[in-house]
Amino acid sequence: MATERSTRDGSWYGDGEGVNQLRGQLFKWGCLGAMLFGIVMVFVLLAYVAIDAIRPLTADPGWHLTFFLTLVAPTSALLGYYGLRDRRSGLVGAIATALPAFCLLVGAGISLLLVDVFRPIEWFGTAVALVVAVGVVYVHRRLRTEPAAFERPIVTVGALVLAVVGVPGVVPSLSQLFRNAPIALNPATMLLYSFAVPVAILTGLAIARRRESRRDGLIAAALTVVGGVLAVIAAPAVGIDDYLLIVLSLSIAAPTAVYVEGVVRERDHLVGLALPIVAYVGTFLGAALVEAYGFAGPEAWLDWQFLTSAHSRFPQEAGIYPALVGSIMMMLVIVVSAFPVGVAAAVYLEEYAPDSGTVGRVVGLIEMNIANLAGVPSVVYGLLGLALFIRYADMNTGSVIVGGLTVGLLILPIVIISSQEAIRAVPNSMRQASYGMGATKWQTVRNVVLPESIPGILTGTILAFGRAIGETAPLLMIGAAAVVFSPPGSFAEKFSAMPRQIFAWSHEPSAEFRYGVLAAGVVTLLVVLLSMNAAAILIRNRYQRRS
Amino acid sequence: MSEEPARPAFAGENRTRSAKESAIKWFLFVCAALSVFVTLAIVATLLFDAIEFFTRVSPLAFFTGTNWSPKIGEAFGVLPLVTNTLAVTALSALVAIPVGTASAAYLSEYASDQVRSVLKPALEVLAGIPTVVYGLFALVYVTPALQAVGIPVGTFNLLSASIMVGVMIIPMVSSLSEDAMSAVPDSLRQGAYGLGATKFEVTTTVVVPAAVSGIFSSFILALSRAIGETMIVVVAAGMSPQLVPSPFGSIQPMTSAMVQLATSDLAGGTAAYYALFAIGLTLFVITFSMNVASNWVASRYREEYE
Repeated sequence: MATERSTRDGSWYGDGEGVNQLRGQLFKWGCLGAMLFGIVMVFVLLAYVAIDAIRPLTADPGWHLTFFLTLVAPTSALLGYYGLRDRRSGLVGAIATALPAFCLLVGAGISLLLVDVFRPIEWFGTAVALVVAVGVVYVHRRLRTEPAAFERPIVTVGALVLAVVGVPGVVPSLSQLFRNAPIALNPATMLLYSFAVPVAILTGLAIARRRESRRDGLIAAALTVVGGVLAVIAAPAVGIDDYLLIVLSLSIAAPTAVYVEGVVRERDHLVGLALPIVAYVGTFLGAALVEAYGFAGPEAWLDWQFLTSAHSRFPQEAGIYPALVGSIMMMLVIVVSAFPVGVAAAVYLEEYAPDSGTVGRVVGLIEMNIANLAGVPSVVYGLLGLALFIRYADMNTGSVIVGGLTVGLLILPIVIISSQEAIRAVPNSMRQASYGMGATKWQTVRNVVLPESIPGILTGTILAFGRAIGETAPLLMIGAAAVVFSPPGSFAEKFSAMPRQIFAWSHEPSAEFRYGVLAAGVVTLLVVLLSMNAAAILIRNRYQRRS
Repeated sequence: MSEEPARPAFAGENRTRSAKESAIKWFLFVCAALSVFVTLAIVATLLFDAIEFFTRVSPLAFFTGTNWSPKIGEAFGVLPLVTNTLAVTALSALVAIPVGTASAAYLSEYASDQVRSVLKPALEVLAGIPTVVYGLFALVYVTPALQAVGIPVGTFNLLSASIMVGVMIIPMVSSLSEDAMSAVPDSLRQGAYGLGATKFEVTTTVVVPAAVSGIFSSFILALSRAIGETMIVVVAAGMSPQLVPSPFGSIQPMTSAMVQLATSDLAGGTAAYYALFAIGLTLFVITFSMNVASNWVASRYREEYE
């Protein structure tokens, strides 16, 4: 086509004034410049927001010097070494450094739920009820080896429903019974049973599988429980409620220990472990020195007070806590609603859907429809939520569950599309092998396709959840509160989420709100978002071994 | 399961199992069909309430009226909102289309693998930032910066909001265009090189024309995103619709008007409440047909090679 036009013009490549190198160079650098324009602009704006939120210049020079010497200089030197000599070790080090910080965020999220939504007794009751339900299902499978049609699914679902929900008004659920039972346990003991023990079992299983030794698994599980008990003992010294310290310390320690154990055991780029040691020792040393010499830190807007208090008219006292809890609860609703439905839809479209015939045409329509739904403006989804959930289903205006369901519908197409891609990447030979051994379609899906594609599904889904946590327009449409002064106590209560709260602050005209509180809110939101994206990338890299 | 090969009945094969299999299949199908239900629900709710609105306000007054003040005076002319939406879209396209296309050309034709592995994720970051944050950037940093360099913009203005909308949709243009350019077979490039073309000529006279359907479809998709973009304009562009918008002054696009209606205490059943759905329907029809058009352009004008 290009040659046609050139001939028509009567010119040929390289005709006329000869080859002009300047033009090509200008074009190349122009393209690069245009590309950098957007990237640089956004990164500069992000830097501005971070500086406004933390205000590093308000700190003593001594504070900067101390942390530079104890933290920045050693870690930079180490990073330089990794970058030049040993990139794989650098990656191991980066994961080992980021993992505890990320787990701290997750643990803090669980703790917030324990403080505000599920009391420890409710958590304990549900956990025990679930154990009973699983036990019933297990015994049933053992006793009835030749079940009638749908006997097993009915028993499974029935046991779970009885355990957690019960029949409203007729039969109270098991977890309800346990909650009301006269159990004389304090919160810490309850969480030792219902949080430390499951974590211990998971850790033990992970270690036992990797080391192929039951004894090592048992030791790891026992160590985890001991860690939980130690947390209870250490709680008064740290100054955090003992039951929260169990959750925090175990959710940091268990995954980190499992990861480090893997690195040490396989002697896999052991040098990388120097990075977390240098970084964390540097941080604590710097903090101790700053304390000892009395250097004042920066007067950051983003501080402990901001994270733990509610909105206030006075910028110095304003905080994001209720909105933070609201966002976490909304995410919980989204995870429970959009994730299973999205994955199930993707499994149908990739594994079951026929290519031809009437059903095939319907499926083609569904796929096209999903692609188009992904492009519908979020504000329209807000209208849908308003009409569907509030007007027709008569749920509470602006409640957590309405927000979660609405935003869940919004990200459903993204979840479906990314799960489809992950499922498509499973090689067909694996399915054929499974069929060859006499497995049915569902057995193949359950035992081969899903386990193989779950890392890819998780990666795409976490990215979609990242989009969900920043969505504001649907929340405005369904009437989420601009400002709440306490976190929602249940899923049917009115709530505010982080982006909603940030939007409310944008109406405040004073400079302190505009450049201070607002910046701190934005940085909080971005940190949550960034760690979710980092988790997604980490999962992808870790399981990218085959392709 | 029509495409599955017929299997002989094994010992474990029984009626229970096939009943279970088909129950699972139907359950999964229902999950997939839920997306169709979502579309139907969107169309139905928007349509019913928009019809309700049009029984109170005539469609003629809605689509040709030049005054939008639903609270005071009950004037429901949607034209100013539409021109404001178009203004935001056009200005943001001025930012996103050149930058996005140039980025795509650089990534696809010039960048080494190492450079691409750094720049591509950096560009994706732009798409991951919540739009309310972009809105704040426009309000808190871009507008004062524009004022500092002597551009007479108000606190809320069209210009800074459009710049941010443009930056937000850059990754959409660049990633889809880059896919289209990378899909151009290398034999075409080699052929042009063989005829004595320079790299610049290969890019502009071979690769871009060959990928033009994909590039155009990315433009349409990005513009549809700009039309539906809400939080940036709500935060930074103000609340006063102008029939003829000025880039330096406050405006109000459709999305922003919807948010204003929804967040002011509306009594259900008033014309203002139903106006929400009438604008929503207008917006939905525009963006949905643009998405369909984008798919159509991509498949209709695709150059098939080999």
